[in-house]
Order: sequence, then structure tokens, then C-alpha cells
Amino acid sequence: MTSMKKILFILMVACSSCMLVNAQSQDPLVSSCVMNIGDGAKYLKDFKVQLGKGTDTGELRYKERMSLWKNTKYRFTMCNDANSQGQLIITIKDENNSVVLSSYDEKSGKIYSSIDFVCNRSGIYQICYDFYRGEAGLGIGVVSMVRK
Amino acid sequence: MKDKLLIILLIYLSIGFSCRNTSRKSGDFFFPENDAIPLEEAEKLSAEAIADISRNIASPVEMANLLLMLDVPFSSSYLASSIDPNKRATANEKALALGILGADLGYLNMYGMTGTSVNMLSSIKKLSEEISVGQFFDFETIKRLSLNKNDLDSLLFLSIDSYTQIDEYLRNNDRGHLSALMIIGVWLEGQYLATQVVNEYPDPILRDRIGEQKIILNDLMLLAAPYCNRDPQFGNVCDYLEEIKSAFRGVNITFTMGDPISEEVNGALVVTQTETSEVEMTDQQLEEIIAVTKKVRDKLISDD
Repeated sequence: MTSMKKILFILMVACSSCMLVNAQSQDPLVSSCVMNIGDGAKYLKDFKVQLGKGTDTGELRYKERMSLWKNTKYRFTMCNDANSQGQLIITIKDENNSVVLSSYDEKSGKIYSSIDFVCNRSGIYQICYDFYRGEAGLGIGVVSMVRK
Repeated sequence: MKDKLLIILLIYLSIGFSCRNTSRKSGDFFFPENDAIPLEEAEKLSAEAIADISRNIASPVEMANLLLMLDVPFSSSYLASSIDPNKRATANEKALALGILGADLGYLNMYGMTGTSVNMLSSIKKLSEEISVGQFFDFETIKRLSLNKNDLDSLLFLSIDSYTQIDEYLRNNDRGHLSALMIIGVWLEGQYLATQVVNEYPDPILRDRIGEQKIILNDLMLLAAPYCNRDPQFGNVCDYLEEIKSAFRGVNITFTMGDPISEEVNGALVVTQTETSEVEMTDQQLEEIIAVTKKVRDKLISDD
């Protein structure tokens, strides 16, 4: 009985340590993506995108609002987890729901992992992420600012 | 007895795992651009909508980055150094001060003034611990990075990420009012910084950025609205926001349409927006915004 209590105590202490470490550590996928935003880029925020398999309707499923300011050059960097089936893509829409940019070029079929956006209209934009062709996947979108 | 111990262990584990941060969810809520959202409408906002607004507003470094880009020299006189964490009695006051100091920390880090930021970190540490969010700051690492100026990018990332985590944690744990106050503090201090600088360096880009805050001010008020009747302290903050909003009423933002231009540069895509926004703001309106921002900010950092 005493040994059972000991085991229980050890497990509780071990779990407490795990929880504490978890609260304080950074997501390694985020950290590695932030490391790749390029020299001179200042980190602004990140979006962790984890999606199951969807349909290839063209409508991106993960959406966030973000204010982007005139006279600012933003960099949108996309990173994929090593085990991600899909490749992360981004589309940005303005307040009129018009597409301002997309990391997927329909004409060439090319997917860009980084886009620089020279913003000349301040406003609240919709940042949309998904995985190419609605695949399941895990990825990070990092927004940073770069000197114009 | 063994079964009981097992049950205790399972309960403990489930509590532990349920306390972890959940991953961010997507949302597609849009607000009307009208700047007169009725309070009762704002009070009905879903948690997801509030989360959307919070994530959009909370950025303690954008204004500081603009100042740096404009080659505005650093000045410690803009900092809210007078905030004494020991004199912040209520959780509301602590959360607000945490936001204000967060913006200052962003300003210091952006300019590489990390020696001063170490002092500010101790105030932030105390405030965050007193509202039980200290676990989201890895103070030792942030302090180490502050003392080692070679890794400013990591320092910026860690500082911003800590604030983002605190914001999410507070909202997810029924303390959205503290999250709102923290975000208001961040925004207000950023705006204070810009309005003080524009007095000395009347750069048109900075002037426009101040006027453009009208775009985000409505969201800020929506964020605060559900808590305006919560307690007198929060009510005062809402009144202050109303005062600031009044100063922006005459500011006009117009748009010129245009299609974005895309080009590939060294394998990366560069998109330049040709659509533009223009701020129409008179000198008098700017003066009013500068004055009301200073008045509100000074009141909120005073210990009285």
C-alpha cells in the first residue's frame, strides 16, 4: 500500500512538472518557422493551422481578422509540419471580400512559402489559410514586418 | 483502496490536461463599419467574436516599429515608468498596467534598449503573477535575451508570444474583462507613444497612422462593451474610450480603388497594393486626439 502511495506521489510530481514545462515552453514548429522569416523581419504574430481533410472547393477554412496598416511591408511565411499531408496556403481578402493576395498561383500551379505584401490601404483584412486542395495538415502562418 | 487512488490519479491527470491551452479556432465574424454599435448589441457578442477582435488588436510592437522605420530617436520620457505594481490594488488595475507596460516593453525591445527592459520586466512579472498569469512569461529566458543584445528577434517573439498566451488564457478562463483591459492598455500606450512623438516629429505617415486608429477603435469599444457595467473601474475605462472616440468623430478615411500588382523577386512573391487609403484630419482634430490620449493615459497610469 505504501509503495502504491509512493508511485502515486511520484506520478503527481512528474505530471506537475510536465504541465509547468508545457505552459512555459514554445511550440517548436512556431519557433522554427519564426527563425525562417528572414533577416530584418520583425515577428508580429502567428497562426497555428490544424485541419482535417476537407473538400477542394477553393474556399479556405481557417479565417482570422487582422488589421494591416498603410506604409507597411508585411511578410507572410508559411511552414508545414514534417508530418503534414497538405501544404499550407494563404489568401488575404479585404473588407469587400476581394482577394488581395494568394500564395497559390493558379496559372503556374506554384505555391509560395513566403509573400511580401506592400500595404497601401489601412483596414481590417481577412487572413485565410488552408492546405492545398483541402488536404489535412498542420502548419504555421507567421506574419512579420519588413523594412520597405 | 487501490481503485480510489487510481480514481484520484485519473481526476488529477484530467484536470492537468484540461488546463492546457486549446489550439486557436477559426472564425469568420464580421462587424459593420458603422461606428455606433449599440451597447446591447455588443453585449451579445459570442466568445469567438470577442476572440477574433482580441487577436486582431493585440500587438504591442507595431507602433514602435513604425517609429523605428521613421528613424525617430528613442526617448525614455514616453515610458510609463511611474507605474508601481505595488500600488495597483485591483485585478483590473493590474491587467491594464500589464498592457501599458507590454507596449513599453515592445518599444524598448524594438529599439534594442534591453537594459531598461530588464527593469520593466520585474514590474511585468509582479503584475502578471498577481493576476495568476505569470506562468506564461518565461522571465528567465526573456531576461537572458534582454541582457544578450544579439538575439533581439527571439526576445521580441518571446515577449509578444507571452502576451498572446496570456490574452488567450484569460479569455478561455472567464476572465475576458482582464484580457480586454490588457488589450486596451497595449493600444492606449501605443497611441500615446505615437501622439507624443508626432508633437516633436510631425511626420505625415505617423500622423496618418494616428488618424487610422479610428478603424480599430470601434473594435476596441466592442471588446470593452460587455464589461462596462461590471464595476465602476471598468465603467471609467469605457467612459475614457468614449472620450477618445469623440475626438475621432470628425476624422475621415477615404479609399481609392486599384488592383494589386504581383511580381516574383528572387523566388518570393511580392504583392504591392495599388488601392490606397487616405486620412482626412485637421490639425485641430489631431491636437484634440493628442490631448485626450494624454489625459486618459496619464489618468490610467497614476496611482491615485
